[in-house]
Amino acid sequence: MIINIENLFIRSEDQILVENLSLTVQSGRPMTILGETGSGKSLLANAIVGILPTGLSQEGLISLFGRADLSLAERQALWGREIAVLPQEPWLALNPIMPLQEQVREVGELVMGQSDDQSRRRSTSLLHKLGLAKDHAKIPSQLSGGMAQRGAFAAATYAGAQLLIADEPTKGLDASRRDQIGAMLKQHGQQGALLTITHDVQLAAQIGGDIMVMRQGQVLEQGSAQEVLNAPKSDYAKALINAQSDRWPLRAQRPTGENQLIVRGLSKQRGGKTLFRDWDFEVRRGEVLGLCGDSGCGKSTLADLLLGLVKADSGQIKATVPFGPQQCLKLYQDPPSAFAPGVTLGQLLEDLIRLHKLDRQPIGPLMQQLKLDPGLLARSASGVSGGELQRFAILRALLMQPKLLVADEPTSRLDPITAREVTELLVDAARSSGCTLLLISHDSGAMQRVCDRILQFTPDRPLLSEPLLGARAQQCA
Amino acid sequence: MIKLLYRRLMQAIFVAWSVGSLTFLLMHLLPGDFAYRIAAGRYGYDHVTQAAADAVRLELGLDRPIWQQYFAWLGDLLQFNFGNSLVSGAPVLQEIDHQLGHSLQLALYAVVISLLIAVPVGIYCGKRANSVADRFGLFTSVMLRAQPVFVIGLLLVLTLAMNIGWLPVAGFGGSQYLILPAIALSLSLAALSNRIIRNNTHQVMHSSYLQFARLKGLSEQQAFDRHAAPNIALPVIAFVGVQAVSLIEGIVMIESLFSWPGIGHALAHAIFGRDVPMIQATALMMGLLFVAINTAVDVIGYLLDPRQRQEVEYAEV
Amino acid sequence: MLKFDLRAPTTLLGVFLLFALLILVLFEQLAHGVDGTVQLLDNAFALPSWQEPLGTDQFGRSNLARLSAAIQISLWMSLLCVITAATLGTVAGIAAAWLRGWVDASIGFVVNVLMALPGLILVLLIGALFPGSFTALYIAISLVLWVEFFRVVRAQTLSLLASPEIEASRLYGFGPLYLFRRHLLPRLLPSLLPLACFGAGNAILALASIGFVYVGLQPPRAELGLMMVELFPYYSDAPWVLAQPVLCVFALILSFNLIAGGFRHDH
Repeated sequence: MIINIENLFIRSEDQILVENLSLTVQSGRPMTILGETGSGKSLLANAIVGILPTGLSQEGLISLFGRADLSLAERQALWGREIAVLPQEPWLALNPIMPLQEQVREVGELVMGQSDDQSRRRSTSLLHKLGLAKDHAKIPSQLSGGMAQRGAFAAATYAGAQLLIADEPTKGLDASRRDQIGAMLKQHGQQGALLTITHDVQLAAQIGGDIMVMRQGQVLEQGSAQEVLNAPKSDYAKALINAQSDRWPLRAQRPTGENQLIVRGLSKQRGGKTLFRDWDFEVRRGEVLGLCGDSGCGKSTLADLLLGLVKADSGQIKATVPFGPQQCLKLYQDPPSAFAPGVTLGQLLEDLIRLHKLDRQPIGPLMQQLKLDPGLLARSASGVSGGELQRFAILRALLMQPKLLVADEPTSRLDPITAREVTELLVDAARSSGCTLLLISHDSGAMQRVCDRILQFTPDRPLLSEPLLGARAQQCA
Repeated sequence: MIKLLYRRLMQAIFVAWSVGSLTFLLMHLLPGDFAYRIAAGRYGYDHVTQAAADAVRLELGLDRPIWQQYFAWLGDLLQFNFGNSLVSGAPVLQEIDHQLGHSLQLALYAVVISLLIAVPVGIYCGKRANSVADRFGLFTSVMLRAQPVFVIGLLLVLTLAMNIGWLPVAGFGGSQYLILPAIALSLSLAALSNRIIRNNTHQVMHSSYLQFARLKGLSEQQAFDRHAAPNIALPVIAFVGVQAVSLIEGIVMIESLFSWPGIGHALAHAIFGRDVPMIQATALMMGLLFVAINTAVDVIGYLLDPRQRQEVEYAEV
Repeated sequence: MLKFDLRAPTTLLGVFLLFALLILVLFEQLAHGVDGTVQLLDNAFALPSWQEPLGTDQFGRSNLARLSAAIQISLWMSLLCVITAATLGTVAGIAAAWLRGWVDASIGFVVNVLMALPGLILVLLIGALFPGSFTALYIAISLVLWVEFFRVVRAQTLSLLASPEIEASRLYGFGPLYLFRRHLLPRLLPSLLPLACFGAGNAILALASIGFVYVGLQPPRAELGLMMVELFPYYSDAPWVLAQPVLCVFALILSFNLIAGGFRHDH
């Protein structure tokens, strides 16, 4: 047994952060701990490695490689050599002023006593294997999140440690990058021992082995990946797994409205890069249109063009019926950043009502529809949760009776269960008010379930599809 | 790199222009006939005559239209053609030649001593944030920062030189004359820089990359030398540039207090004596020293910090 | 949001020091009533008494009266300079960030020219142009101080104008005044207020510094830096008189620095 933990408690001065946890990790049988952020998962990794933050105390048994009585110094001697740790935020875990290859190579020289030549050759081949051959001389600020994570992987595993501990390795990565990291982890888990800590159900499914579900420091259930993912017992695990976008109920409809926007020959460059050139497409009245593509492909820029916030290099966007003022609105990725600080939400609403002499009557029913508690209005943006604030943002937008609403990754900062709830409320509310909804997301699974049509970014042209047809076909099969 | 040097060259031109314009204005705002004052500087007030003044006026072109004089004035300044001191009558260049050396010496010693104090204290406190030593360091820094640099000098003089008699009070001679002014100036610089280094050290010691270096298997010493030290050092170099303002201002004050025969003392003296050519030359030297320090800091930062290289290259595109 | 934490002992000390100096001035104005310019040469360096609580100086002038006058000059100077610099810097910073283009470029040019020289050298040169003039010094110090306000406000406004919160409010049709009141001001104040306190300290420092090299306000005016340099030759006869302006400058700058530390930015 590589790791054996029995009855572990981790406490801060006033609360229990990890409660009575027991687990074992063996070679060839990966272990994944699944749970929302802030559930004490990362502290477990810290306790195993021996870097628990000061002020926290632990109690219970942690034995590594069959030894239960390791002192801190003995544990530190295992770092790199026997235990590799893949960091949570790779960008911050790499030295900001050292070239990537040097951060990998130094492990050979300083930890394994290799010659300069040996370490240079080995680090070159490692980077090559991870697809970073061209990036060896770059510093972290020149790397993407996925590149930095692979570089950190190379540095962490250089010395050939048997046990790999990965703490939220896919945080903030695109879906395609996530699969790549998952594959790397899975490969390690087949030969050595792997402990992964994540909130990402898909990553857990990809790695396989055993899964333990944790919430607020408590273990809710554990078992093989198949058991837990297919037949979860606890309510929380059920909700978490059902919040995966491929399990959402189908909300897409066949688009029927006439054209609202006609786009012809639209081109835009940014920072010397062509985002799109000579694009033609239409947006239909009242539809839910998804914009899909990798980060940095220009989804948000396209949306800002349609809203008139950015100017196109060439081409035109024509509205069949001209929009009135304040009829094109937007929801933002990070709800707190979209509200004025230090004033109550009620006051912000009042500002809007006074400016446009709005009718107060719809507020009550809308709040009910969006499941917003009236008490929220007495608090400021920093005093409510992200999910509540995003729902308030939807309320604020709908009060204006918009004709076009752009939602730019409206749920990517929310936990999966809340994300599902907010997305469904948003789509339903837009439909019932007859407003066209442009939904930007990197979660193509979710888009397939809720969007009437999807505009996929490809290098040359916009690829428009109607997922409803495909999804129906799948359901029938 | 070129862009960086170009920016500093522009700054040097701004310095020359603003010093030139202000002193030109000064010359014409001061009461009395300027030609007469120059003549008096040459021949002494007892021997000066209206004819001599007229000769000077003709020679220096002071009868030309004002804008011609202005451009001629700036042209002279660009060629370091400062004329003669109105007080001593000696060529200004000759006067500031020695003074510049003395000021550079004082500046260099002050910066080196301030770093010798601030770097160890800052790193020590940064590694032990909120300890008794750290709090004591904060208290001392706050107390020192609340005093003008000349008060620090004054207190040093009163205690070390006058009451105990260890060191000379003021003036110029052997190295013992340099000690008090350099220490006074360096204390005032270190009062701020040690806290900057402390905060920076604290941040680096708690950084993810330092922890990750340890987790890769590096020993504490290896991780500190290779990952912490360079990241602590770079902002310190940049901060020396930020402190160039305090350094120059401190030089003026400290040289005046200790009668140290440098540019700063000469500047204050020249302003007091309305010696326009000396004011011009000394202010210009001070300004150029400021630009030179900033340029050196920029170049060192550029060479050592890949992020700055990237930024500059990006800006050039 | 912005909080002023008066409970912190350091902030409390800062406020206390400032009040103590104000009370000294008030006491002198209301209860003392001695003309600080009157010289009584045979009464030089008189020890503190009921009539002269702080003794007299080398010319037999009332130390209390002179100190009170000097503190008032320092405080008025710092107040005027900070208000001018903060207003000018904030307006110019917002204008430059909002309008960009030639407005930004020309203000940027002025700033570059001003920043080319160390601030004190600029104040010295302007002081030389108008010897002993309070107004000239006020303009010179404000000219040096406003640059910092400008740079902070411009940088923050630039990033705020590109932020979702302002983009959203603009989409909802709110005008510039609303954007300033609801978005810019609440975000700018937490940096502006400490900056204003440090600025006040720096103004007092600058005034004392040029007084100390005889370029600032001229005798017989009572000014803290000038008093120090005048009293310096008598340090062995009357160190306690020299200590008075030294302690005043120290207390003034310390109090403003400590008060600046009391502004906390909570999220």
